[in-house]
Order: sequence, then C-alpha cells, then structure tokens
Amino acid sequence: MAFAWKASGLTYNKYLSVAARVVRRSLKDDKRLAAERRGEMELKFAKWNNGKQGEVKSVADANAAAATEAASHTS
Amino acid sequence: MNSLRIARTALRVRPAAIKAPLQRRGYAEAVSDKIKLSLALPHQSIYKSQDVVQVNIPAESGEMGVLANHVPSIEQLKPGLVEVIEESGGSKQFFLSGGFAIVQPNSELSINAVEGFALEDFSIENVRSQLSEAQKIASGSGSEQDIAEAKIEIEVLESLQSVLK
Repeated sequence: MAFAWKASGLTYNKYLSVAARVVRRSLKDDKRLAAERRGEMELKFAKWNNGKQGEVKSVADANAAAATEAASHTS
Repeated sequence: MNSLRIARTALRVRPAAIKAPLQRRGYAEAVSDKIKLSLALPHQSIYKSQDVVQVNIPAESGEMGVLANHVPSIEQLKPGLVEVIEESGGSKQFFLSGGFAIVQPNSELSINAVEGFALEDFSIENVRSQLSEAQKIASGSGSEQDIAEAKIEIEVLESLQSVLK
C-alpha cells in the first residue's frame, strides 16, 4: 500500500503523532486542555566532546530538522 | 519403525477419547461466543480484557467486524470510528487516531492507539475550523513536510467530520 505521508519522507511515528495531535485539538475545550498536555515534549540533549558539554538542543527541534533534511534527500 | 509404533498407539487411544465428549457435553466445553477486548491508549485502558460481542474496526484494508473465533491477524488502523457491541446489546463508539488491532487465536482482540475518545467528547466547531486551516496549508506554498502534515490532518478531520454528522 502506498501512503502519501510515506512518499513525502515522514515516518510512521511522525504520522501517528500528527494524527493524535489533530484528534486532541478536535476535542471539546475542557477535555482538550487536559489532553493537549500529553502531546508536549520537552526533552533536551547535548553532545559531549573531550569532556565538555556541547550546545543543549531540543529533541523535537532536532528531529524536525533531521526530517526536513531526509525529505529533501529523497525527493 | 518407532514412529509407526506411536501411530498405532495413537489409533488405539483415540476411540475412547472421542467417545467421551460425544456422550455428555458439560458447560465447560461449550465454546464462548464472546471476544475479549483490550482497548489501550498510552495513558489509559478503555477496555481491559472485557467480554464483548463484536468490534467493528477501520482497518487500512477496509472496515471489518471482529467476532469470537476470528482468524488471527494484525491490522493497521486508519484514523476512524471503532464500534464496540457489548454483552448487554448496547454499542459504544470511539474515535481512534490510528494504531493497530491484533486478533489473537484465543478470541482475544487488542487494539492499540495513541488517542481515542468517545464521540460525544468532540466538538464539531473545532473540527471545522481546523479543517479549513489544514486545507489552506495543504494548497499553500509551505515546505513539503508542512504540506504532508496538513494532508494527514485533513484525512483525520474528514473522517472525524463524517462520523460526527
């Protein structure tokens, strides 16, 4: 089966998270506020080199950048 | 030679084994016509191995109804409506954001999804406003990734809109 999201370089994980995000945003306001908190991710990482901590980056931002780069390679 | 001997003993044993269940049929031997449903989200389990009559799921390969003694299979789910017909005869409807349904050999069905809510929890106004927003992005000149994401959103929202009507 050919999926449109696959053709544009998205992973299944990304597809699921986008679908879940839009479902959460479609809820009635009281439930939506509680549910949207589940979609937040504040994980950070840093690369250590020669015993020194490098720049601290957000995992979400780094993933998005990697995805756009991967998409530009495939197309 | 050895296998032949086993086959012969098996033949000898069988008549007695067949006779017993034919003569009397107890309650314990009656096959259950219920399917054990587990509907789990990462943060909540809606059904925990509960006996239900039938579950209708939106598989990528098409809509399917799962009853007891279904053929074991793994189905990827589209974002859509899951209908559970309970023992009491009533049915409950949940909108799932997509995941997997696994039919196990012993009349067990496990459905896993990221988000799933009862239909009455959705607001049609929120769906409509998001749909028009997503359509704008999909037909706009954003990055390829933004357009792909908007198309996913449209797929989900259109499915949601059609079941909310």
